[in-house]
Amino acid sequence: MPRLAGGLCFFIALSICSDPAVGDTGAEIEALKQRIEALEQQRQTAQDEGLADKQRATQASEKDEETPVKLGGALRFNYFNGEHSDDLENRYGDTGLDLFRLNVNGEFDRLFFSAEYRFYRYMNTIHHGYVGYQLSDHSEIQGGITRVPFGLLPYGAHNFWFGVPYYLGLADDYDSGIKYQYSRDGWDTQLAFFKNAELGNAGDLERYSYDPVTTGATANQESNTVNARLTYTVNPQGSCSYELGLSGQAGQLYNADTAEDGDHWAAATHLDTHCGRWNFQLQAATYEYNPKNPAGVSTETITLGAFADSYEIAAKGHVYVANVAYNLPVNWPGIQLLTCYNDFSMLDKQINGFDDSYINTTGCLINAGPTYTYVDIIRGKNMPYIGTSDADNVLASGGGNRWETRFNINFGIYW
Amino acid sequence: MHMISLRTSASGRSLLCAVTLLYLLVPGAGTVQAQSNTYQDPLTFVSWGGAYTRSQMLAFVYPFERRFNTRVNVLDYHGGLEEVRDQVSSLNVKWDVIDLEPADALRGCEEGLLQPLDPTLLKKSPDGKSLQEDFFPEAIQKCAVGTVVWSTVIAYDRQQFEGERAPESLKDFFDTERFPGPRGMRRTPKANLEWALISDGVPADQVYSVLETDEGLQRAFSVLDRLKPNIVWWNSGAQAPRLLEAGRVVMTTAYNGRVYDAMAQRNPGLQIIWDHQIWSYDLLGIPRHTRNQEQAEQFLRFATSSEQLAEQARHIPYGPVRHSALAQVDRALRPHLPTEPDNFANALKINAAWWAEHFEQINIRFEEWLERPVRVPRALPH
Repeated sequence: MPRLAGGLCFFIALSICSDPAVGDTGAEIEALKQRIEALEQQRQTAQDEGLADKQRATQASEKDEETPVKLGGALRFNYFNGEHSDDLENRYGDTGLDLFRLNVNGEFDRLFFSAEYRFYRYMNTIHHGYVGYQLSDHSEIQGGITRVPFGLLPYGAHNFWFGVPYYLGLADDYDSGIKYQYSRDGWDTQLAFFKNAELGNAGDLERYSYDPVTTGATANQESNTVNARLTYTVNPQGSCSYELGLSGQAGQLYNADTAEDGDHWAAATHLDTHCGRWNFQLQAATYEYNPKNPAGVSTETITLGAFADSYEIAAKGHVYVANVAYNLPVNWPGIQLLTCYNDFSMLDKQINGFDDSYINTTGCLINAGPTYTYVDIIRGKNMPYIGTSDADNVLASGGGNRWETRFNINFGIYW
Repeated sequence: MHMISLRTSASGRSLLCAVTLLYLLVPGAGTVQAQSNTYQDPLTFVSWGGAYTRSQMLAFVYPFERRFNTRVNVLDYHGGLEEVRDQVSSLNVKWDVIDLEPADALRGCEEGLLQPLDPTLLKKSPDGKSLQEDFFPEAIQKCAVGTVVWSTVIAYDRQQFEGERAPESLKDFFDTERFPGPRGMRRTPKANLEWALISDGVPADQVYSVLETDEGLQRAFSVLDRLKPNIVWWNSGAQAPRLLEAGRVVMTTAYNGRVYDAMAQRNPGLQIIWDHQIWSYDLLGIPRHTRNQEQAEQFLRFATSSEQLAEQARHIPYGPVRHSALAQVDRALRPHLPTEPDNFANALKINAAWWAEHFEQINIRFEEWLERPVRVPRALPH
């Protein structure tokens, strides 16, 4: 730009020196004024264009720097103690690595994606992975391994250990399929079709969420399942908001031994209330598996599997959830969140002679910077992984049919 | 341009050629010119943007430019002293005159960020009163001079309450049961904490003594806690009436002048609740180490004159801090001024000295409070 300005001045100077036609002083000055103004205008235009180019380049550069892909993850450690064994109690519990996970999320205009892979001590598995497209301001579609829209979302619990629905594959469940969501004016509709469970291999137990598997007493797997979930939130901006919801799912239950299709279905209604610092959650659900097992194999139970393990559950049951949480108004330095809760859930098994299952967790979540710590006292009756009861059948016929305790602290750093 | 003023006779043309070529060829000639321009940089005046800055442009920025044949660049900011502190500490002062809130004026003076002012530089009252008689008390400070009285009020859009009882008081702003819906509030503890206590039953004249205690401060935050899920925060004064007009909030705190401007320009349905308005005044100050000290003082003298302050009130209903200016304000505008007796009945003056002392500490707590969710989060990490 200085070069251009210098050239301009030089041109003016030469014009003045070499133009013999300039005679009358007034006309001469006027002509020169006009000429200078014209040249100044050209120079300004060039300068503006240069500036605009520079701005465009800067914007393009800034856009390039705005990475559409974000990486994240978590590292979690767990401490637990309880009635699992005398040794454990004598050692005052055990601690160890719980999880290392990596997340990747991104968006390109209307296209977006999200994936999470988890490394446990005993298995590595994908948690979810889908690609989505924003159809409009109110609707989107997702395809891949995505969360099943059913009941209270996202977990149906506040604590680390979750509640009964999770252990039945009715909460925080991920399957492989396609999901459509429409949200507007307080209404939220989710419709989904899942071809099968997340891995497409019903014999693989190294998965995050519970599904029928083929490695236990029964060899069933869910297939071609449709889901619908409709909620309406009353007074979403008010001091108390109420989400009322209905959910349903139905699909085939293919038996690998008989090569026949049975069916499965579930339905739920829920209320999720946020009132100031309080959160109340209620849910009632019912489910049924109608397998086509080989002759002689009981149809009263279904084998579910996840976390490199499997167990039996009652093939029919009602599930009830009652959770309450309170967000404490703390003003402690460094603490952003202190939420305490009591989550209760039960399985009312609809099979004669089966003992019902219960779990009640009282605890708090503490958030300080990037760390989240769950401190939970878990009381369970006929629940897997609580106490000494045989995990294989506690959600089916039952275990010791007594209350057992697990004390759990999960500390995680998230980035 | 000086080339043009030369006579362009034959000899003149030769001289013109010589001077022009000399200018181009002699090393450093251009540099000298550039340096000379540096010392004639236009004055930079920093204010709050929107209708408020517009009133200043019309009242004293344009007239100053015309009167003194100079240029004034006007920038917007959101208050606070951080930028001034950066500029003064680096000796790279780019702002020449700043429109300040009283607490910032006091603190800026204490910290040596603002230039002490000689009151004799101010323009005298046209009616012969002394400056002390003419200016409101506290309007002439060691490092800043007051301009206009403004107030923070509650505003709402009548259309949103059609066929229903409209809010009338400060208590109604905090009553989400009777008046559900989001509220707009300025993202600052100032005025919000005072209002929180008053709505909770603390007498207005005891607000600052209650806030002085930990229990009192906690009480104020507890009141805000209850409102927090409904709060939409705004930063610049122009945002507040826009939140109302867009229907994003049912009520908002706002500067009275901004609401008046929106009423006059776009939406006559906007209403002001004067109940417990919190009033304050703005001041002009000059940062230390400005390179335009003389011109900045000239601007400050001009902008705080009675004529210019009265002129500003014609463009925004903020009351001038000079009695001689107030006398010149059109009677039709007076009902819209915070100082009108009916509006002023239970007004609270913001305690600038108290905020100057406590703002930074309380603001840290306020920002931390903002980060903490009131509601149980929907998705906790798993």
